[in-house]
Amino acid sequence: MAEPGHAGPGPARPPVRPPVRPPLTARHARLTAAVLLALAAVVTSAVSLDVSLTAFTEGAEDVGNLIDRMLPARLDEPGRIVDLAVETLLIAVLGTVLATVLSVPLAFLAARNTGPGRLVRTGARGVITFCRAVPDLVFAVLLVRAMGIGVLPGVLALGLHSVGMLGKVFAEAIEDSDPGPREAARATGAGRLQELAAGVLPQVVPAWISLFVYRIDINLRTSVVLGFVGAGGIGFALQDALRGLVYDRALGIVVVILVIIAGMELLSIGLRRLLLTRPVAGRAAGATAPRDTVRVTAPWSRERIARFGSAALLAAVTVHGLFALEIDPREVFTSLDDIADMAGRMLPPDFTAVGGALTTALLETLAIGVVATAAGVVLSIPLGLLAAHPVAPHPLVYWGARATILGVRAIPELVLAIVFVAAIGLGPLAGAAALAVGSVGFLGKLVADAAEEIDPGPLEAVRAVGGGWWQRLSTAVVPQVVPSLVGSSLYLLDVNIRASTVLGIVGAGGVGFLLFEAVRTLNFAFAGGIVLLVFVVVIVVERCSGWLRRQVR
Amino acid sequence: MSPVITTRALTRRFGGTTALDDVGLTVGEGELTVLLGLSGSGKSTLLRCLNGLLPASSGEIEVLGVRVDRARPGELRALRTRVGFVFQQFHLVGRLSCLENVLVGGLGRLRGPRYGVPTYPRAMRREALDHLERVGLADRAFQRADTLSGGQQQRVAIARTLMQRPALLLADEPVASLDPENARVVMDLLVQVCLEERMTVVCTLHQVDLALGWADRLIGLRQGVKVLDRAAAGLDRDAVMGVYRQVAPDAGPVGDRHG
Repeated sequence: MAEPGHAGPGPARPPVRPPVRPPLTARHARLTAAVLLALAAVVTSAVSLDVSLTAFTEGAEDVGNLIDRMLPARLDEPGRIVDLAVETLLIAVLGTVLATVLSVPLAFLAARNTGPGRLVRTGARGVITFCRAVPDLVFAVLLVRAMGIGVLPGVLALGLHSVGMLGKVFAEAIEDSDPGPREAARATGAGRLQELAAGVLPQVVPAWISLFVYRIDINLRTSVVLGFVGAGGIGFALQDALRGLVYDRALGIVVVILVIIAGMELLSIGLRRLLLTRPVAGRAAGATAPRDTVRVTAPWSRERIARFGSAALLAAVTVHGLFALEIDPREVFTSLDDIADMAGRMLPPDFTAVGGALTTALLETLAIGVVATAAGVVLSIPLGLLAAHPVAPHPLVYWGARATILGVRAIPELVLAIVFVAAIGLGPLAGAAALAVGSVGFLGKLVADAAEEIDPGPLEAVRAVGGGWWQRLSTAVVPQVVPSLVGSSLYLLDVNIRASTVLGIVGAGGVGFLLFEAVRTLNFAFAGGIVLLVFVVVIVVERCSGWLRRQVR
Repeated sequence: MSPVITTRALTRRFGGTTALDDVGLTVGEGELTVLLGLSGSGKSTLLRCLNGLLPASSGEIEVLGVRVDRARPGELRALRTRVGFVFQQFHLVGRLSCLENVLVGGLGRLRGPRYGVPTYPRAMRREALDHLERVGLADRAFQRADTLSGGQQQRVAIARTLMQRPALLLADEPVASLDPENARVVMDLLVQVCLEERMTVVCTLHQVDLALGWADRLIGLRQGVKVLDRAAAGLDRDAVMGVYRQVAPDAGPVGDRHG
């Protein structure tokens, strides 16, 4: 061992050489155990699904045939397809508006700092968690059964499931708000509701708007497949084409879907810019108003016009949607009987009907989720990092990676699943492959955003010591994105396990097939059993990932 | 003394703002030079131009015999391994241990990426530990950097710089984020190691008294223009304060502090 160049200043160097290896702590041990456990889970899942590359290489020919039959894409009855596309868009907007209306009060009840009491808070949290744990397509299947085929079940399904996410993140925004303004409102003698409206609401609204726009994006992706279960929209035409094996028409419809989703993505980027950028300091509204005109309302600044215009547009779209889709909001209440009746028939849940098949299907669902997430993480990390400014070695790489992620994001998972089913046959492997590819659109974007938000200081420091690209990446970027990487990956696992419960609808494995069969054959008790099990699995996974996330900060 | 730093007509623009305007200076070996000036006067930009973190818009820069303005990326990296840089905000990776942050200083001697303390050569880890001991933080080696106080973090950053065994040290407001007591401790440490290692130092400072106490030479910048360049000996406080005065509040744009 070479002695270092500089000796310490003190003569009293410790006789025992200090360790140059980090000491092992309980936290390290826990983390190592968690990593090993995760690896074991991935390997077990992969083995149980018979993951092999040969399945994909053998499938290449089938994909070739499929593509042959898809080309050239054909758009039959363009008028009808466009109508269905508009219907899809309106379902997504209405579903998200409904979810927001339901989520705001729930969020205030569920937030630690605004909830009225422990009991109410727990209840509100329970409702939100339940909504999140039941996949949107499951809601759709059940509601279509109860209310009949139509768009209303689709809107309700999107709305109810979205409450699970919006309620949770709205409540988190409330909990993160500064208590100061609230205290100030209380100090002036404001009542409880006034206090919330004046002290909390203005702080959380920007975050809420951003979440609302984000959720419309997600719901649009779901609304294109709602038609698969008879809940309205363009998915109906797509399924029709697929059932009739008219693949060129199916591709035409998929192209229309991609166009709507890409358009929405651009619109939401624009909306976020418009609504969420802060006005330039010093040009504050009112500062330029002449002294002698006494205004008691804010002047019509650019920002205010943008806010007002967007709100008016949303209201107009909502009202138009109600008329265009011929939705009578009262129908929700008149059909409550049917919904309650169906819910009643799901109780008590029946776990015995298929015996071992249910356990097998549930394990398969879990395995699909785990394998898809692992493969998705492996694919997304390099792609996501290259789509971040501090990492991308060249603007072309940056734009290439960003475009890939955006392109994958635009394809709904069920559509991917159909392609993979065609390529490698019915079964869980097709589902896992579809979810893995779909994960890239989701996780790749989160990784890219996280890498762009890192503190640039350490990056500059590594540059200043003469570090190269790899060294900047490994020493300054990666350590800073690890916590959000772990968080996002675990969130991806949540999402994938929920998604894998509905893959069965297109024959891509998992518990979904049994569920849809049960609903189709009106065996509601069995359906209830499956929904309950899915609920339990999702909650357990959420709890585990929450624990892991807290370990990696 | 052969010059360590020479700049001629160094100019750096950000969009329409001129951060450095025709700056020419020479710093000899072993000199301790302090840059003075208001926030936004171009001090940080000048330091970053010297090691090529920011490319100059025009002009010549020669540091340790390397023409920074003409250097290829590889040459620039090789130069940076010999130039220490101390940042106002320390620029440690908060989640990593102090030892690993110090090891970052040795990256220039290694090839390829590193992740985690065990991926560095053992001799290098020992050396890093010695540097931590030198700044009095050997007992914190495996503690996360973001659990330390500001003064301690800057000492870790100094240890990281020592790891480079630099011939030249550039320090950008090394004590501006610290309270007076910590500022004194860190400044003492910095000057002590610079003297011991016979490093050439260019340091920006806000505190005129600290500058007068330590510097061999003072350089003043105002809106990117060099307005003062004298040996510190015999200079008094009032003469130096001139650098900070005579700036009309609306006399053109002042560089972006937060950019």
